[in-house]
Amino acid sequence: MRKGIVLAACLALLVPALSLAGETVYGKGVSSRETTLPVSELIAHPDAHVGQTVRVQGLVVGVCEHRGCWINIASEKEGETVRVKVEDGVIVFPANILGSTVIAEGVWTANKLDLETTKKYCGAQAEKKGEAFNPEHVTECMTLYQLTGTGAVALETAVAPKPAEGEKRTLEGADRPQHKG
Amino acid sequence: MGRFRKVCLWLHRELGFLAVGLTLVYAISGLALNHVHHWDANYSRTRVVERMAAPGTGETALIEPLVLAHLRGRDPELAVKSTWRSGENFLTVFLDGGSKIDVNLTTGEYQREAVAKRPWLFQMNFMGLNTGKRVWTGVADVYAGVVIVLAVTGIFLVRGRKGLIGRGGVLMLIGILLPVVYALVAAGN
Repeated sequence: MRKGIVLAACLALLVPALSLAGETVYGKGVSSRETTLPVSELIAHPDAHVGQTVRVQGLVVGVCEHRGCWINIASEKEGETVRVKVEDGVIVFPANILGSTVIAEGVWTANKLDLETTKKYCGAQAEKKGEAFNPEHVTECMTLYQLTGTGAVALETAVAPKPAEGEKRTLEGADRPQHKG
Repeated sequence: MGRFRKVCLWLHRELGFLAVGLTLVYAISGLALNHVHHWDANYSRTRVVERMAAPGTGETALIEPLVLAHLRGRDPELAVKSTWRSGENFLTVFLDGGSKIDVNLTTGEYQREAVAKRPWLFQMNFMGLNTGKRVWTGVADVYAGVVIVLAVTGIFLVRGRKGLIGRGGVLMLIGILLPVVYALVAAGN
């Protein structure tokens, strides 16, 4: 009886210990944190880095909802992202990684699609955005680039404190920002 | 009862009790994850669309505090993790826990997507998929060994009048042939 109680107490202590807050390492983690390639560089010159092991750092702006098998990392340039795809089940990115800053490591990979697959891919993208799509307009094969990830580290992200009462501003009124152009 | 069957009975009984909890975890998690293409087995998501005065498409540094002030006015407990300008017309506000708010800067319409772990099921899937690795790899290995012992000892528990030549043997054969035939037909190609 006493042994059972001791065992239960050990298990109770073990569970919270496994979920301590802080940096989270996925898969093999990263081999270094010093040198990372800017996401914008990968996007600007994708073919130059194919086959290379690279590390990128950035904000996670998308995560696979079903299996946690990929994340999208934002570039320093507005709207640009790269996908980090990991082997299903080997690394599972949780939903709460969204909005965290990560360093991801892997091999930069080019997947050349045939025309049929290109049409399917473009159709799926158009459907996602709610745009009209005509497969006849797709005449060239495309290449999808992604980081085939071997590991990642999610850096601790501080949650922004709420502003003091006096600092609150509203959208209505004189301090509304001007539109571009 | 022969000594061998006595040992089988003892093993099956003891390990059977031990395996109840983990068998339920793996079975329920297996069911849930089998249909992962139909539903999100780990998280429930709710989406609510609301509207604010259009913030405009100016500099992010100017717009972001206004958007956050509005959102915090609606929800004082809002725990903002980070923000991302995904395009000229869009700003995404990431919240603690995986929730997010997509703001259309031109129309002022915004969608709040709240993400919550499915109670119990998330933890079961965490174990079922061995997401945590480390200590759970050992637990899962031991459990797999226990299930093998249960399967083998189960064959010798109650022999019946005809032993394995009777109904028990036929059922066992079906149970063995099912995965073998499927493996040859479907997975073999």
